[in-house]
Amino acid sequence: MSVPYLKEAALAGDNEKMIRFVRLHLGDGNEDVGRKEMDKSWVEAIKILLRYGPVDETVVARVLSSDESTLALLYFHLHFHLIRQSGEWIHDGSR
Amino acid sequence: MTAADKESQDPREVGTQLRPGLWHTINERYPGSMIEKTDLVPLAELRKPLSESRLTLISSCGVHTKSEPPLDVCHPFGDFRFRRVPSASRHEDLIIHQLKYPHDDADLDINVIFPIERLQELASEGVLGGLTENFFSFIGYNMDPERFEHSVAHDIAEVVAKEERAEVALLAPA
Repeated sequence: MSVPYLKEAALAGDNEKMIRFVRLHLGDGNEDVGRKEMDKSWVEAIKILLRYGPVDETVVARVLSSDESTLALLYFHLHFHLIRQSGEWIHDGSR
Repeated sequence: MTAADKESQDPREVGTQLRPGLWHTINERYPGSMIEKTDLVPLAELRKPLSESRLTLISSCGVHTKSEPPLDVCHPFGDFRFRRVPSASRHEDLIIHQLKYPHDDADLDINVIFPIERLQELASEGVLGGLTENFFSFIGYNMDPERFEHSVAHDIAEVVAKEERAEVALLAPA
């Protein structure tokens, strides 16, 4: 999905088109895989929090005060970071 | 060609080298990502033999030197930057960061996707007149063809023509 197509969808409030794009991106072109990948990253985040490790709230606050573009991109980076942490990496180099 | 391919054949594919059905398949998966270009720039004529020409290599494989930070493979629209790859680099100097295609074979031998050592050999044998100091690489996944054309493609073309003074460019898609 091209950026102009997504801009059109955003203007029209067509969230279905946009979420489909996200799933395709996260699933390397496979919507079902992308959906599972999204679930996987959230599951990984929960698993980490269940360990009750120390949390640096000041880092969270500082990061959240960043500009919205940085935060939106960080969201994608965090997704892939958590997927890597899960040990179930299906992306580069895998077949 | 299957019956489905025939039905889905787009007139824009006729006479091109696209695999039958590719336009339909990609547009089904990524609507709007296949664009039609009509203002094509004609290919430049080779002005002298290859053995007297300085060649550059441009690839969408996302390779870069290990000493450089990777391009952004997480951005949903793609990364609008490119990397210079010194043409004297060896396989062990280089690394690929990509999410969208398997590159385990290229990790074993970068030349299968970015034939840098083969080109070094051709230059030393005199088949090529020489190599530009740098080759070029970027991430092929990109969802904004217009911005890509006016940033990455334009910037690489500027450097290739003005700084590297390439006389031949080998384009290698990944």
